[in-house]
Amino acid sequence: MSKRVIVIVLMLFGFVTFAQNKQLLFGFNDIPQSVLINPSTTPDNELFVGLPLISHIHLGFGSSGISAFDLFADDGRDFSDKLRQVIFQLDNNDFFMATQQVDIFSGGFAFGSGIEKDRYLSFGMYLETDAIAYHPKDYAVLAFEGNATNIGRVFDVSDLNFTGEVLSVLHVGITKKMNDKLTLGARGKIYSSVFNVTSTDNRGSFITEEGQNNLLIHTFNIDFTFNSSGIASLTEDSNSDISNDIKTLRKRLLFGGNLGLGLDFGFTYQPSDQWTIEGSLLDVGFVRHAKDIETYRVKGTYVYEGINPLFPEVPTGQTAEDYWNDIADNFEELFDIDSTATKYTTWRPTKLNAAVRYRFGKKISKDCNCYAEDGGYLNAVGAQLFAIRRPRAPQLALTAFYYRRVFKGLQFKATYTIDSFSFTNVGLGVSTDIGPLNLYVLADNVLEYQNLAKAQSLSLQFGLNFVFGKGQ
Amino acid sequence: MLNSKLNYIVCFFILILTCTSCVKDVDFNQAENLTLTPIVAASVVYTDVEASRFSENGTEIETVRDSIANIEIFTEQFVIDNLVRTDLVFEVTNSIDRSFELDVEFLDESDTLLDVFTFEALPSNGSNEVITMVTEVYENERLEALKQTTKLVITLRLLPSSDGSTLNENSTGRIILKSKGLFYLNLSA
Repeated sequence: MSKRVIVIVLMLFGFVTFAQNKQLLFGFNDIPQSVLINPSTTPDNELFVGLPLISHIHLGFGSSGISAFDLFADDGRDFSDKLRQVIFQLDNNDFFMATQQVDIFSGGFAFGSGIEKDRYLSFGMYLETDAIAYHPKDYAVLAFEGNATNIGRVFDVSDLNFTGEVLSVLHVGITKKMNDKLTLGARGKIYSSVFNVTSTDNRGSFITEEGQNNLLIHTFNIDFTFNSSGIASLTEDSNSDISNDIKTLRKRLLFGGNLGLGLDFGFTYQPSDQWTIEGSLLDVGFVRHAKDIETYRVKGTYVYEGINPLFPEVPTGQTAEDYWNDIADNFEELFDIDSTATKYTTWRPTKLNAAVRYRFGKKISKDCNCYAEDGGYLNAVGAQLFAIRRPRAPQLALTAFYYRRVFKGLQFKATYTIDSFSFTNVGLGVSTDIGPLNLYVLADNVLEYQNLAKAQSLSLQFGLNFVFGKGQ
Repeated sequence: MLNSKLNYIVCFFILILTCTSCVKDVDFNQAENLTLTPIVAASVVYTDVEASRFSENGTEIETVRDSIANIEIFTEQFVIDNLVRTDLVFEVTNSIDRSFELDVEFLDESDTLLDVFTFEALPSNGSNEVITMVTEVYENERLEALKQTTKLVITLRLLPSSDGSTLNENSTGRIILKSKGLFYLNLSA
């Protein structure tokens, strides 16, 4: 593949972000990591230790408008035609996204001064990748058709809008039961950015119209900025020894990168035994990029109507050649890439989770035909809302769920989610305990697993933890 | 107990489904067949000349010639590789009662003439505007000539009048030249 195609494919798919919505994990307090979705969720254990690197792995991607199948289906149709169709079918609010999260280590324990331990402390460190790219529609149309058939069309510079980052997050959170009904939680986070690329604040337009003095008039009004951190030192160093780069990356994971701070908040309110209302706000924070930064900027305005070589009406005695050179200079100035190192701040994609839950159906003991002593309801149904801040507009998702505790060591959760990607997202999750080992697998869009290429979004989470004191 | 066993089976069935899921009927190598064929439209030259400008101290000026040198766009590697056709569209609006001949010459760095085309702008019929439009298509050999061009020379030649009259300071009308280029690109993987 030539470089050009790689660039085009990158533009379309490279910045695939994982679906950040963890509708299956939210409220699933048999799984210790559920406390990361709402810091006021009290995990159902006294102590947990996550298995390093595999206690929580989350992979996901989403594409609001198309699936890989739409474009790459082996159907004999010309690829360029299919790509053209996709480009025109999607609008500039469609996006591609990808997310990945891996726990490096994690743990937590319950504590408290009274007999009943009313507090839970959880901590850990994870590596997160998050990226989103909006469909650069006007750029794609320009690349496909050119301006000749688009006289009068405004090509919007802001259609190029993407951000991507890899960072490590060190966190400590506390969950405190305030009274019988209310539990509050908060988590502090320190971010250490490994890489960041951001181009979310582009403005301006390019338009070709019927001219006055000439057949056409071209108006350029461009303000384009691309910021990166953590890239320059790796691409510019002359050493071909990759182990040096790995050393650099390891340093950055452990606070050698660009640093930031963030907070999570959450509450759980139980007005009655069976009803629960809960909400959380995650990643209210920022990263300040001050080290290893690069900024590219193209900014300028120019109106071009053509060249007037005969009798140029210039009183200064300028020759036609001077006049032509002026035009060339103006173009060069307009498209001159201004390269600097400007510090910048990125805001984390803040997430909101909310849920209302109704629990029912206690276990009936076979011995006495009465409620079993280990108590608790076996079923729960409810609705969840998820929102995430994105460069253009927040993304929303609405979920209905059913939770079932089959027996003490096996729990299910099934979800049905409506979001930007589809109206048919069915998710299934299972958490099982074998001795102190807790294993869970959560997968959404299970209907698409017969052919993953047709899925517009997928999210898969799994992990292994050692859990002690469950159900106490 | 049987019920929970069933649940276990369902659960592992889902796990197996997850592990055996696949990607069917897709061919990612198709991306290598991608071809883009945009057409770029750009203004080229324009001018607006009053009839009186063809007279100096009472004498008619027959030829007006000027050039644009140091043109880099046609010899850019990107253009040489990807430009497959060019249409140059000229529109002349004449409101002078005289015919004009227009020459557009393409020269390379050593001033070698690579290509020339000539067309006539018809005379105005009693100061009414007469529009002449020509489209020159550059393909194959002519296009190759265009890809070596670094200099354009444009000559506006006043053709002799049928009745022997000449243009003077008080002659009316004007000749307006407008043009654009349509550049057909073929970008492939």
